[in-house]
Amino acid sequence: MYSRELDGKTYTFGVSGKLWRDALLMYDHQTRSLWSHITGEAIQGKLKGKKLTPLTSMPQIAWKTWMTNYPQTKVLSVKNRESLERDNYANYHKSQRAGVSGTSYTDKRLPNKSLVIGVQIEDKNGKKHYRAYPLTVFAKTALIQDTVNDMPLLIFHSKDTFATAVYKRSVDGKIENFELKDDYLSQDNQGRLWNLITGKTTSSKQQVASLERLTALNIYWFAWARFYPDTSIYKP
Amino acid sequence: MDPNVNVKMKSYQVLQSFLVIIMFFFIVFNTTADYENDPIRTLLPFDAIPAITKPQFVPAAKAKLDADAPVIGVNFNGESHAYSLYLLNGHEIVNDVVGGKKIATTW
Repeated sequence: MYSRELDGKTYTFGVSGKLWRDALLMYDHQTRSLWSHITGEAIQGKLKGKKLTPLTSMPQIAWKTWMTNYPQTKVLSVKNRESLERDNYANYHKSQRAGVSGTSYTDKRLPNKSLVIGVQIEDKNGKKHYRAYPLTVFAKTALIQDTVNDMPLLIFHSKDTFATAVYKRSVDGKIENFELKDDYLSQDNQGRLWNLITGKTTSSKQQVASLERLTALNIYWFAWARFYPDTSIYKP
Repeated sequence: MDPNVNVKMKSYQVLQSFLVIIMFFFIVFNTTADYENDPIRTLLPFDAIPAITKPQFVPAAKAKLDADAPVIGVNFNGESHAYSLYLLNGHEIVNDVVGGKKIATTW
């Protein structure tokens, strides 16, 4: 999820049909530069080296849970259909084949097709720190508290709805500890309740009404590791 | 055995070992270079997979979606959009505006 605005101009993106590191390259209609959809960076063309601003989103969630939390939501409709009955890439997801064309690059720390939540944290010096959270660690708990390079994090993933959210684990600048109370309701150590889908609280005992959401990817390990080989892997 | 043959064999073996070493360095060096400078591979022409540039939406109540259908959700400035992942398989990019933000949803 990226902003289409860059240096005061708005761009429209299309599918180039090209792959780089076994991942989609987008192109912009205005300059036909090629952009990685993993990093948001232009790798070829007039805008080479430019980077799109990543935006936060819910990378995946069961429709019912999204609708319950955002009842005013609108739904994309193509030719009067809001979904297809099946996943056309089902076979690709089932196989251990890495990449649509089968990549030769692998990082053996995890199986290629393990799904991970990929998080990147930028420190004060602009250096990025990468961490992958294998979805298997969420089998027992939907909520993980972690710290990446001094940044306290709350990582939420529901194995039932596939909802994924990463937040800064602090409220009004103070680090908190959270405990899961319900499917996606958590309580901090001040007793305040937070909805981990919306990031919002039902309490009004603080300045902010929402936790600060960070960008997160649900991504296959081979792709994450290929783009960010110096990633660490979360271990419980 | 003709001693000259033996000498020839030896020099052939030396050359062979030398080539193996050269190849080893070539492979190691080339793999590194390949990672830094990965090739762009063309699988399809531009727009063979049609990105969505003028997205249409329906309200939640009118959406024909199963309860457990996977969607991507976005919410900016009080406005929310959901995109079925199965629909996005055929388009991969939606050029959208949500809550005044111009966004590209990619899958």
